Amino acid sequence: MSLKGWLHEPLFHFLLAGAALFLFFAWKGEPADPSSRTIAITQEDRAGMALQWEQMMQRPPTDAELDFLTGTWLREEILYREALRLGLDRDDAVVRKRMANKMNFLATSIAETAKPGEETLKTWLADNPQRFTQDTAYSFDQLFFAEKIDAESAAARLAGDADWDGMGEAISLPPSVDDWSARQIDGRFGLRFAEGLQSLGKLNEWSPPIMSGFGWHLVRLRGRELGEIPPLDDIRDQVENDWRAKTMEARRDDAYQLLRDAYEVSVER
Amino acid sequence: MMPLDRGGIAALGGSMKKIFGIAALAALVAGAVWYFFLRDDPVRNAKKVAEAEAQVRLAEYPQQVLWGDTHLHTDNSIDAFGFGTRLGPDAALRFARGDMVTATTGIEAQLARPLDFLVIADHSDALGSTKRLYDAPRIAIQDETLLRWHDMMHESPKQSQLAIAELITAASNGTLPETLTDPEVQEENNRTVWTEHLATLDKYYEPGKFTPIAGYEWTLMPGGNNLHRVVMYRDGYERTSQTLPAPALDSEINSLFDHMDAYEKATGGKVLAIPHNSNLSNGLMFEMTQADGGPMTAETARRRAMREPVVEATQIKGDSESHPFLSPNDEFASFGDVGWELGNLSLTQDKEKSMFAGEYLREALKRGLSIEQQTGVNPYKFGMIGSTDSHTSLATADEDNFFGKHTGNEPNAERANAPQNLGTRVGRFGWNYLAGGYAAVWAKANTRAEIFDAMMRREVYATTGPRMTVRFFGGFDFEGTDFAGDWVAQAYANGVPMGGDLEASGAAPQFIVSALKDPDGAHLDRIQIVKGWISADGTMQEKVFDVIWSDQNVRRKVGGKVPAVGNSVDISKATYTNDIGVAELQTVWTDPEYRDGQNAFYYVRVLEIPTPRWVLFDAIRFGIELSEDAMKNAVAQERGYTSPIWVGRAPAPEA
Repeated sequence: MSLKGWLHEPLFHFLLAGAALFLFFAWKGEPADPSSRTIAITQEDRAGMALQWEQMMQRPPTDAELDFLTGTWLREEILYREALRLGLDRDDAVVRKRMANKMNFLATSIAETAKPGEETLKTWLADNPQRFTQDTAYSFDQLFFAEKIDAESAAARLAGDADWDGMGEAISLPPSVDDWSARQIDGRFGLRFAEGLQSLGKLNEWSPPIMSGFGWHLVRLRGRELGEIPPLDDIRDQVENDWRAKTMEARRDDAYQLLRDAYEVSVER
Repeated sequence: MMPLDRGGIAALGGSMKKIFGIAALAALVAGAVWYFFLRDDPVRNAKKVAEAEAQVRLAEYPQQVLWGDTHLHTDNSIDAFGFGTRLGPDAALRFARGDMVTATTGIEAQLARPLDFLVIADHSDALGSTKRLYDAPRIAIQDETLLRWHDMMHESPKQSQLAIAELITAASNGTLPETLTDPEVQEENNRTVWTEHLATLDKYYEPGKFTPIAGYEWTLMPGGNNLHRVVMYRDGYERTSQTLPAPALDSEINSLFDHMDAYEKATGGKVLAIPHNSNLSNGLMFEMTQADGGPMTAETARRRAMREPVVEATQIKGDSESHPFLSPNDEFASFGDVGWELGNLSLTQDKEKSMFAGEYLREALKRGLSIEQQTGVNPYKFGMIGSTDSHTSLATADEDNFFGKHTGNEPNAERANAPQNLGTRVGRFGWNYLAGGYAAVWAKANTRAEIFDAMMRREVYATTGPRMTVRFFGGFDFEGTDFAGDWVAQAYANGVPMGGDLEASGAAPQFIVSALKDPDGAHLDRIQIVKGWISADGTMQEKVFDVIWSDQNVRRKVGGKVPAVGNSVDISKATYTNDIGVAELQTVWTDPEYRDGQNAFYYVRVLEIPTPRWVLFDAIRFGIELSEDAMKNAVAQERGYTSPIWVGRAPAPEA
């Protein structure tokens, strides 16, 4: 596996070690340790409970309510620990799912909140230009024919220097197009036409018939302005969104793969 | 890497808690740093967006039709999340603008052609709350019902769907747990989700190219009768962040209109509402009377017309244009009616035939004329659009790219044949569901303001998925139209476009209609003009005219009807050919039956040749056999409906 930059981040090692441990214990159950029969509820723990109450109820709990919460928490904690000892967490769909979600969250949380640096975004843009290139602009003239045979005979006449004006059949499509984006062409002429247009080589020459969803077209390409990659400053948000989405995805997968590599798995079929 | 042998772990075991504590703290600090120092500033973003918007050039008149969906749900919708979707507004916007995304069930999803605009319309009630319930620590959930739902949602997708089915039932029975209805709690939660959502919309707004629009769904359903509306804003963050989506549970329509009035007054912004699934309202969406049963007042009628300029005619949960019971002479009236005609949304109440008249749009348009005759105001003067109502964050209405009503029905081998009604499995079947429709908008530019304004003037049309280009103009002086050169400019100059009012002149009205097929879709069968009017004795009338069709030299009318176009679908492969039908149909039509003094509406219905429905694509893709009923509905003629043009006396001056 290639070691990417983020694999060198100490915090990642830290989280990964913790995560591996957590997975191990979630799977194996905590070893019976007498010291774990000691439960100390700190001020902070209680403040946390009070805060959760407040989020739900929109007011702080009274002292009695806080004591009750503490009691509930303690009861749950003791039952939880005993349940772990008995291995009740094993084969429980809810626990499994929840733990797996937490692992995914650990893997992606840093990417979710990180603000990528200038260099990261620049590299991202340079490595993935096709996602940010502004549409190539096309200029062309076209003649429409419902039947291929009519298009072919018109092509022959055009080759003999006939005037194109007035040739072709009526249809609600523009005969001449100036600086249209690929997206505009897709929308108006359709995907099949756009494909044909992309494969045309020479400028200012009438093409052989190309097919569209409407019928057949003779096309004279007049210009093709290749799209430029806009400067990072103009599309920073777009690049950042893209970087974040893809990075989170990659981290989730890489983190899993790293863990997965430590397992030997056999599946009976 | 640290060695994962047993000794190493034992050594670290005692400090596990500490490690986790530190990790949690680190995450918290990182979050705080991000929030206070690094987060995008929505206000700054909104300014940038407004500047880009001002750069967009407006055409003199609408040149190119824009395609969009005004009705998409993401994981912020209480039911969508519960049904299983884990894609949020970001993914929804990326998908709509043409990017590839991975659907919740792991299938890669992409539109062949991107959309031009998108309204994300999550349910205002309990906005984001299933997501919050899911993410909440168990200890923080006090309510027993919520706790059970929480556990079910975590257990499995199937349990999650059951939880949501229970939730929808509870919502329509008014027995939701208090925390989901407590106005104070809800307001605080809604504000967070709403403002965050508005900021996301601005991030993806590319004026002139791709337009995310703010909106929500207002989900009123007394007793399971569907009175839902999508609410849609004209404005950006600066104004929309000053309001909150209006709650709908236990509400009534006037409180929504009041909420809209208050927004406009307070911010100077603009907002409209789009009723949908009138076909599941059990006759309540377009009543002849006020909601309380009294005669409709002019004031109520005026408010309805002003607030609801367009209606969703077609979507995943069926088509509401027409029904054979109401239009027995229209052989194409039944599209998308099967299953939905049985009862209301939740199927808690069966439907009686007398209810159809309050549900289908053609009848509603007629009722509007009738009420206008009595009160002077037409309450049902609406245009028509299509949308998806998808709950998967994926706005696709394409038959060969259907991702289902909700995540449980993303492509799989069972969904076409299986019983399915929302989360429950009673009463309706997978194949009853349509692939959804799109909204086509004749705007002068692709911006929020221009799209909104086009909807206000009803210059819009609905399709059941295909992207056919349809023009429709009414006037009295169209004789010279040759469909060459600048005929569109001439039509704008000499008439009114779809959605407009044509003042009666005594002469019979003329209509220019032009339909160009979807460039990547099927040929066209025919163009029809649907007319509705009030006859001299005060009864409501309708008639469907075939005005132009393919192969007219061989398809001659028999008994006043144009024969069927034929069928080129190969059922064994889910394919069709364009050997029948035609790429474009255009004509000028004069109403031969017009009588002076008649108040009437005219709208266009364009029919494609028969093509495979999504169920047939599923059958081939998964190698399954469709049930007999599903097979009967495996092929259909997709279609478009334009907004009407109304012909009549000049409306009385506003009081």
